[in-house]
Amino acid sequence: MAQKEKQFNGPHPPGLAAWFLLQFLRDDLVEEVLGDLDEKFYQMLKRKPSFKAKLNYWYQVINYLRPFAFRKSRSINSNHYAMFQNYSKIAWRNLFKYKMYSFIKIGGFAIGIAACLLISLYVQHELSYDKHYDNSDRIFRVLNVYNDQGEYERWPAFPAQIAQVLEDNFPEIEKAGRLIPYDWYNAGNNQFRRGDQTQNNYEEGFAYADQELLEILEVPMVYGNQAHALTQPKSIVLSRRMSDKYFPNEDPVGRTVILNEDESDPFVVGGVMENFPSNSHLQVDFFITLKEVEFWPGEQTNWCCYNYDSYVLLRKGTDLDELEKKLLFVRDNYIVRYYREVESQDADDAQENLSLQLQLIGDIRLKSEGVGDIIPHRDIRIVWLFAAIAFFILLLACINFINLSTAKSANRAREVGLRKVVGSFRGNIIQQFLTESIFFSGISVALGTLFAWAFLPYFNILSGKALIFPWAAWYFIPLLALIAVVIGILAGIYPSLYLSAFKPIEVLKGHLSRGSKSSRLRNATVVFQFTASIVLIVGAFIVHRQMQYILNKKLGFDKDQVIMIQGTNTLGEKMEPFKNELLRLADVKNAATSHYLPVSGTKRDQNSFWKDGRSKIDKGIGAQIWRVDQDYINTLGMKLLDGRGFSKDMASDSSSIIINQTMARELGLENPVGQRIMNWRTWTVIGVVEDFHFESLKGDIGSLAFALGDFGSIMTVKVQTENMPDILRSITTVWETFMPNQPIRYTFLDETYAHMYKDVRQTSQIFTGFAILAIIVACLGLFALSAFITEQRHREIGIRKVLGASLGSLFQLLTLNFVKLVLISLIIAIPIAWKIMQKWLEDFVYRTEISWDVFLVAGLMALMIAIFTISYQSIKAALSNPVNSLRSE
Amino acid sequence: MKETRLGEFEEVILLLVGILGEEAYAFKIAEEFESQTNRSVSIGAVHSTLNRLEDKGFLTSEMGKSSAERGGRRKRIYTITASGERALEASRDFKLSLWRQYPAFATGKLDFGLK
Repeated sequence: MAQKEKQFNGPHPPGLAAWFLLQFLRDDLVEEVLGDLDEKFYQMLKRKPSFKAKLNYWYQVINYLRPFAFRKSRSINSNHYAMFQNYSKIAWRNLFKYKMYSFIKIGGFAIGIAACLLISLYVQHELSYDKHYDNSDRIFRVLNVYNDQGEYERWPAFPAQIAQVLEDNFPEIEKAGRLIPYDWYNAGNNQFRRGDQTQNNYEEGFAYADQELLEILEVPMVYGNQAHALTQPKSIVLSRRMSDKYFPNEDPVGRTVILNEDESDPFVVGGVMENFPSNSHLQVDFFITLKEVEFWPGEQTNWCCYNYDSYVLLRKGTDLDELEKKLLFVRDNYIVRYYREVESQDADDAQENLSLQLQLIGDIRLKSEGVGDIIPHRDIRIVWLFAAIAFFILLLACINFINLSTAKSANRAREVGLRKVVGSFRGNIIQQFLTESIFFSGISVALGTLFAWAFLPYFNILSGKALIFPWAAWYFIPLLALIAVVIGILAGIYPSLYLSAFKPIEVLKGHLSRGSKSSRLRNATVVFQFTASIVLIVGAFIVHRQMQYILNKKLGFDKDQVIMIQGTNTLGEKMEPFKNELLRLADVKNAATSHYLPVSGTKRDQNSFWKDGRSKIDKGIGAQIWRVDQDYINTLGMKLLDGRGFSKDMASDSSSIIINQTMARELGLENPVGQRIMNWRTWTVIGVVEDFHFESLKGDIGSLAFALGDFGSIMTVKVQTENMPDILRSITTVWETFMPNQPIRYTFLDETYAHMYKDVRQTSQIFTGFAILAIIVACLGLFALSAFITEQRHREIGIRKVLGASLGSLFQLLTLNFVKLVLISLIIAIPIAWKIMQKWLEDFVYRTEISWDVFLVAGLMALMIAIFTISYQSIKAALSNPVNSLRSE
Repeated sequence: MKETRLGEFEEVILLLVGILGEEAYAFKIAEEFESQTNRSVSIGAVHSTLNRLEDKGFLTSEMGKSSAERGGRRKRIYTITASGERALEASRDFKLSLWRQYPAFATGKLDFGLK
């Protein structure tokens, strides 16, 4: 971009103004006037900013709108104008003459355009993610890439020293800053209050960050100075909305805030930043400084543990490939060296398969396939799939338009013949029908925009976005006009070529056979429309089935009637009394505390495990170790397959561990109970728990172990009741006696679980919406076509009736052809839908099967809808009195 | 004498054409007008007046030289005709005669700088 500006050699007079001038200026004045205006422009430029000079140029041009300067108008213009007037008048009359057909043309178009508009807004928002930085082409996130036999795993976390190492060793990197955006120590969510108040509030969106990160991400500040907002230890930066909430109408810089009731460890506000825009991949409300932070002794210099995401700002003109090659230095000199120092078997593996990659900040949202982080992503393929479907619906509407225009051509044939006789060229006729179709599409665009606008709030709920119509944007209205013209031309070009080809003598003599000749094309379009509809119906069914499968899958734990009370870590010593008090309530069956739960949004960790004594011989297995209490397994209804659970009475349980089946298998333990395993210390296995799904069903069940730990932030309460509101009230009462300053916050385990699959639910809803739209548009077309066909055959029907045809046989006659077409569509749609949905389901390790009944139901549905649509016209025709259609003969 | 009647703006433009001589073309005249009167005027307005004065026979014009800052385009140079000069003189004489009849001026109580 910068290069482009350099080529640009100072401002020029505005071209549009000059063009406008030439539209009306007398030819013999052009040279002198343009010269004078140029001279004026460059003279102004010497003293005034260029926009003023440009404005003045426009002013001068406008001032040439004087009679003496006008070109004498040519007569041909007025003729064109008159013809256009005539065309629009005829279009207007046709609109009202064939009300049903006009309604279907315009209605179908409007639906298609509304769908397209909404999806365009959606796609535009998705594509606009992280494009707003001044240096958006130089900001990158650093990723580890691990080549697992051809499958690439990527993740952003590095050990603490990463930023320092990057800055010190690579001159191409101007700045590097670390970020901890997920649930870890104070990152994630906390109870939050002002230092001078006592009432705690639960807040989300905490992240640890380096001062450099504010600079790299160009975070705009409301209060305080960006350059040293996070330089002091214990400083915290609030977002504007949080500042407005806790410090309304004041500058909070320098004020104290308290996290999680920990008064011994207060934070000081270092600044207030603007809220992150909705199209930023990060949505942080609190940045806590990483300055002088050390989570455990030696943590900042140890290369054991991967907890820090890292963002870098590159210098201009850096060769990315070259730099990525150089970054292998980090692998060789830090990562692998650490493994060698601790004599880990991972050293060779890392040396061989690990590399580092720089991911452009604008790619994080849509191009993070296979990246393990907690930032919400969207698969760019899904975005384009939606765009394609919206486009298809518009295409279906265009097809209706083309179909109806050609089908009804017989009604226009005499008009075309007569126009040609009185002197129209073919070009004029084409122009006429294009004008007409642009006229129709103009109305449709206006109507479609209204539809979309009215539907936008609902669409926002569906898509989980806060989209708004850019009414005020300068490009919006002209863009709509342009869309109307382009779609009008696209939909009108075939009918206008077709209609304008009529030979005047033939049509005026009454040979109107051409209307039926193109029936093969019409059949093809019906097949196309129904194929698209059936594919969408099948898609909607299968996505819905997968969602049902997810919700009803046996997970290995019991998610029903489990209440999660959040933020219990602030109870501290009162944890046990609180739990006992809860257990005294009638319907409470069990309660347990832990940070860790088998739903997203709770804590996770990663450890390496070996059989005892083999850490320097074997390659470790990756496993999570969850800190739970004695009641955890019972409360969540997990099943112990072997051994026993934790017990209060056994002091030795502090070094006991319970592992899941997968972990026993991966460690190669035949009889795990009683065996010893190790990570950084040794544990004795006391039990094996049945595998349960603790991550998304998109992936396999991994290795997992339970060990005792205390002070969990979530108390899980298993209840058994018919009356949920009552038990919630009782629990709230108990909570309030313990924690008067912290409002209770609870969720339900099953809801939280369902929430994990929000994207599936959204996809399901959007698919359903699209399928409904597609079928509506296709049915509109079918309805009009059947009306047309019965109209064409009304004499035939009359004669058949006179000769004794029954109602049933007439109905059959009129519908059989369409039924055949729908069946053909079904046959075409099955493999397409199967292929697409198979691809979609492949994202899930645990998935429903695509069975034949889906196609059967979708096909039957399409068929029923089609027959229902046609039957109105068919029955009407079959019931009509034959005298009406035959007496004029 | 309908032919020679000059509006105030026309008169000023005509005078400026005479003052600028070789450099009398629409842009320069508009510039000169602005700097002499402190009133802003568009080139189009000046051009339109020049056109009218040419129709009345007070001015003639021909295409002159081009220059780089005009994008190599030539300019139309206006020159005052004999009838234009006569019209200016007539206008001046008419006003002077009116001034002389103005009592305060005639008795010397007011001095407008005209002798």
